[in-house]
Amino acid sequence: MEEKNETQNPSEDSEDMVNLVIARLETIPPNVELSVGGEGSFSIDELIERVRKQDNLGKKIIEMQLAYLRSLGKLPTQDLQNAPTAN
Amino acid sequence: MLLLLTRPRYDTPTHYLFYWTGLLIADAKKKGVKVIDLDKDKAEKKKLRSYLSKQPIDTVILNGHGSPETVAGEDNEIILSTGDGTELLKNKVIFVRACDAGAILGKEIMKNGARGFIGYIQPFMFLIDKDSFNKPLEDELATPVLECSNQVGASLIKGKSAIEAHKDSLNKYAETIDKYSSSEATNSFLLPILLWNMTSQVCY
Repeated sequence: MEEKNETQNPSEDSEDMVNLVIARLETIPPNVELSVGGEGSFSIDELIERVRKQDNLGKKIIEMQLAYLRSLGKLPTQDLQNAPTAN
Repeated sequence: MLLLLTRPRYDTPTHYLFYWTGLLIADAKKKGVKVIDLDKDKAEKKKLRSYLSKQPIDTVILNGHGSPETVAGEDNEIILSTGDGTELLKNKVIFVRACDAGAILGKEIMKNGARGFIGYIQPFMFLIDKDSFNKPLEDELATPVLECSNQVGASLIKGKSAIEAHKDSLNKYAETIDKYSSSEATNSFLLPILLWNMTSQVCY
C-alpha cells in the first residue's frame, strides 16, 4: 500500500481551489456579467481568465467563492489556508 | 429631514446605481423628506462641498466608485477623500455605496464627528443580465443585491439610526440568501455575491 504523504504541496492545493472556483463560474449562464465597482463589468469567460491569472480581481473572486463554500461547511478550514488570498 | 444624494451615471455600475437610487429618492419624497439630488454631472466635488457647508443636511448617500480612502462622482472625479472634506460630515449620517470606502475613509468620517457611517470594506459587486441593461430596475440578477443595499437608504429615510439601517439591510440579505438557498430556487449562483456584500458591509 502506498504511503500517504501527510504534507501536501501548497501550490497543488491552490490549483485545486482555482479549478474548483472555475468549475463554479462555468455554471453561470453566458448572458451574465459581474459588475465590480471601478474595475468595470466582466463576462464569465473574462472572470475565469482572471481567476486563472490570479490577478487582484481573480483573487477576489476566489476569496468570494471560497468564503461561500466555507459558510456551507463544504470546505475544511485547513484547505482554505493554502488557497490564494487577495491583498 | 434633509437628504443629499450623489448618483453619477457614466458606466455600467453607476448606470445601475443611478436608477436604484432613484427609487430611494421617490420613497423619500413620498415621505415628505426634502431631497438634494446631485445626479450625473452635478455629482461633483464643488457642488457637494457647497451643499454640505451651507445646508442643514441630516443624511448623505453617496453612490459611485470608491477606494479605501476615496469616493468618486461623475467621470470618476474624487469628491471626498481622507483629509479632504470629511469634516463637512460632522453630525450627519452617511451611507457610501462604493467599493472599499469603509476601510479607511469611513473611520475618518466618524473621527471627525459624523453620527454614523455605513459602507463596504471590499469591492461592492453585483451580477447583471446583459439583456436587461436598459431596464436596470427589472434586472432579476441585479435586484437581489441592490434591494438589500437599498434597504440601508430606505431605513435611513424612515428616520432610523445608522446601526438600525445597517441591521435592517443585513436582515434583508439573510432573507434573500434563504430564498435563493431553497431547493426550488434557480440562480443559486447569486449566493456567493450576496454573502460577499453582506459580510463586506460595515457600520461605525
